[in-house]
Amino acid sequence: MAEETLLADDFLRQLINVGEVDILVGLPTHNNAKTIEPVIRAIQTGILKCFPRERAVIINADGGSQDRTPELVVGASIGDVWSASKVYALRTMHSISTRYARSPDPGTALRTILAAADLLRAKACVVVSPDSTTIEPDWIQRLVLPVYNDNFDLVSPIYRRQKFEGALMRNLLYPMTRAIYGYRVREPYASEFGISGRLATDFLTKETWNDERSRIGAEICLTITAITGKYRVCQSFLGPKAQPDRSASDLVAAMRQTVGALFSSLDSSFPLWSTIAGSQPVPTLGAPSEVMLEPVRVNRKRLREMFATGVAQLEPVFRSILSASTLFELQRIATLDVSEFNYPADLWAKTVFEFAASYHKSVISRDHIVQALVPLYRGRTLTLLLESRDGSEEDIEKSLESLCGEFERLKPYLLEVWADRK
Amino acid sequence: MPLKRDAGWAKEAIIYQVHVRAFFDSNGDGIGDFQGLAQRLDYVQEIGVNAIWLMPFFPSPLRDDGYDISDYKSVHPIYGTLDDFKTFLSGAHDRGIRVLIEMVANHTSDQHPWFVESRASQNNPKRDWYVWSDTDTRYRGTRIIFLDTEMSNWAWDPISKSYYWHRFFSHQPDLNYDEPAVRDEMWNVMKFWLELGVDGFRLDAVPYLIEREGTSCENLPETHDVIRELRKKVDDQFPGAILLAEANQWPADLRPYFGNGDEFHMAFHFPLMPRMFMGLRLEDRKPITEILQQTPEIPASCQWCLFLRNHDELTLEMVTDIERDYMYDIYASDKTMRLNLGIRRRLAPLLDNDRRRIELMNGMLMSLPGTPIIYYGDEIGMGDNIYLGDRNGVRTPMQWSGSWNGGFSTADPERLYSPPILNPVYGYQAVNVLSQRRTEHSLFSWMKHIIRIRRSSPVFGAGSIEFLYPENHRVLAYIRQLGKETVLVVNNLSSAAQAVELDLGRYKGNILIEMFGRNVFPRIGDLPYLLTMGPYQFYWFRLRRI
Repeated sequence: MAEETLLADDFLRQLINVGEVDILVGLPTHNNAKTIEPVIRAIQTGILKCFPRERAVIINADGGSQDRTPELVVGASIGDVWSASKVYALRTMHSISTRYARSPDPGTALRTILAAADLLRAKACVVVSPDSTTIEPDWIQRLVLPVYNDNFDLVSPIYRRQKFEGALMRNLLYPMTRAIYGYRVREPYASEFGISGRLATDFLTKETWNDERSRIGAEICLTITAITGKYRVCQSFLGPKAQPDRSASDLVAAMRQTVGALFSSLDSSFPLWSTIAGSQPVPTLGAPSEVMLEPVRVNRKRLREMFATGVAQLEPVFRSILSASTLFELQRIATLDVSEFNYPADLWAKTVFEFAASYHKSVISRDHIVQALVPLYRGRTLTLLLESRDGSEEDIEKSLESLCGEFERLKPYLLEVWADRK
Repeated sequence: MPLKRDAGWAKEAIIYQVHVRAFFDSNGDGIGDFQGLAQRLDYVQEIGVNAIWLMPFFPSPLRDDGYDISDYKSVHPIYGTLDDFKTFLSGAHDRGIRVLIEMVANHTSDQHPWFVESRASQNNPKRDWYVWSDTDTRYRGTRIIFLDTEMSNWAWDPISKSYYWHRFFSHQPDLNYDEPAVRDEMWNVMKFWLELGVDGFRLDAVPYLIEREGTSCENLPETHDVIRELRKKVDDQFPGAILLAEANQWPADLRPYFGNGDEFHMAFHFPLMPRMFMGLRLEDRKPITEILQQTPEIPASCQWCLFLRNHDELTLEMVTDIERDYMYDIYASDKTMRLNLGIRRRLAPLLDNDRRRIELMNGMLMSLPGTPIIYYGDEIGMGDNIYLGDRNGVRTPMQWSGSWNGGFSTADPERLYSPPILNPVYGYQAVNVLSQRRTEHSLFSWMKHIIRIRRSSPVFGAGSIEFLYPENHRVLAYIRQLGKETVLVVNNLSSAAQAVELDLGRYKGNILIEMFGRNVFPRIGDLPYLLTMGPYQFYWFRLRRI
């Protein structure tokens, strides 16, 4: 069994002491001391408020924190929760921590958490991001209850976001996953989610863990596994999601984790997705959260420059990835200034599909393919900003639907380039 | 051999709680009696207990199973005569068994001559023996205990045209302990029984003796004055006799009832009992360790009384709302099982007749600090009848054999004071003393064994306790220590096998001797001591340095 070598002896001993549980909350961390305490407090309060009778454990999989994050997790006292929230614990609630590596590896962190869930026979497993400072105790209920009471296997979150946040999700991951796999899961790569014990157990057996590209994007692979494995998937409205500060280099890493894993998943699941047309909604629970319309300062000029520079500098790379017509169009757009800039949805969908096909065929290094998509993504993001600058919530939703519609409409084009690149 | 006149006996006691009416009928009238009880003293001795606590046997209209007394200095004719009582008492003492009786001090029956006089007119000399009022609005801050039956703590008396105070049923008027004559008379009652030779009293409903406006009318300082006065008289005139408090309160509120060793000798630890049941079903030691952590130290001469079940409902007054809901859902899913704020069930049905759980609970009862009380019939795993009213379902006839009326009485079954348990699982044909005596591995045989072991060491009755907190929360482990004797107790609250590592570093070099089988376990070394335990298993180890 994979988990036999994955879990350290000391961690295993802690798991033996915890024993079988109903709910397991996983917390992958790396140097999160600044934000971890309110997150832990919300988790504990959420469990005590909504699941006072259930056997619960908080498991911290740490990637070598130097700031005492694990100590803060383990040391968080239930007594403080009791005094602050007046919720009473019937049971012992364990908080345990394991250092799975000296450096962070989100895939291994998730695998450690799932292996613990499997060993402890957790009925429901929730993963929470350690930098979700907007987390409320209710999140736990919203992620656990659909699994616990309604037999869903994957509960994917829907956040209340600022209208320019989550651009990668809106521009690429959601429309593409939806078009490919036929399910409208808004956050296919989520930092918070709930899963059933049986999905956790099944996912542990997948090849995902043996492929580095998939492993680093294990969360999106989990969503795909749930969809392709015919597990019961739903979405749950959580609330506002704070966006951690990210540098430009983070985007490349994020693209690798998400887009790379998504592209990679297409290889093995081709027989399945190639027969799917259109998409279907998934059950969505809770009160919908509207988009936050507060203005946000974005440097549009810089985005345009990064796009134009990328198109110029990466032209040789693009020649091996993109069709001539697509590249021509991109080069044309790169000459436009901000006021006229427009990277249309159909062209974006074609671009992404051509990248996916090239990734499949490994026309160049797969990593380079994903990296090459970054400047183009910035161009598409600029268009999104321009389109939704003064848009209402309805306008933004309409624009997203239109983009998704393009991805679905052009899916035959993906099949075409997949089989025989143009 | 005469019994020692030293109240220290209470710490070494194991008490058997008996209702005369339910134990054995000697004259075939369908009701248990003192002659019957005397005839069965050999059985009580065989169990291994060394004290009996008798439920009320005084003349009474029996509207509350004898807790509504109409004459404190006599025996209800249905149970026999005062001479029968004396014969029983002497027989018990001959066997080294002490006898505690009830002192229902808070209230009388409304049929008691004192109340009959008191209500006769507002000028009657005994008028102030009870608490009267022209309105029913006094003492508004006082809770109602019997929520299922009583709307108010005041009842209208049409004879004297005023209200009288009652904390329990309206036919049980509260005595007025502000009246010196009442205090004198109640001492006379106690003296009467002590002179006959009883070894102590369980004082019923003690927190409610005194009322004061603007208070909850519970646990008042004046109540403690009353108790101290009684205790002094007992100590001065009847050394060795003990007072046991029935005060269903939180530990911190109970602590004052021990005073400085000058009030009660013993008090029931009410909040612990439901938490033992809770811990078992949660498979988590937390409720038990938590309540014992909250339990204050008591004077060295004092002692807690522990019990699993008794004649009342399994009271859930001393738990939080969330705990109460849990207990109801787990142990009383059928609402018929619920009464007031509690569950009217016996031990075996509460534990689904699971022998391992019954043994574990008794194991904890016998090893946690305090004097254990065994409710009659629980030693053989008797069942209950939740369809009998009030708490009568746990007060059915003792099941002696599989014969006529379970060997309880030769009367026609229809004449019995209560129908015996008849169902195929718990009925007397399945569960009875005779059949269990014949089997080495019966619950009865096991109970005798554990009682013998408990009594083999004073550490259980008088030793200190120190909890170990192994990381496995399903395991409740503690060290009992008295002088040079050290006992390690380890309980697996889980329905599954468990591994547990105990930090016994302080006892390095000792070997463990398992007290039931006297087997030697490995010596304690530098590493945490690893034990593997079967479902609901428990160990008692004597630590020895050899």
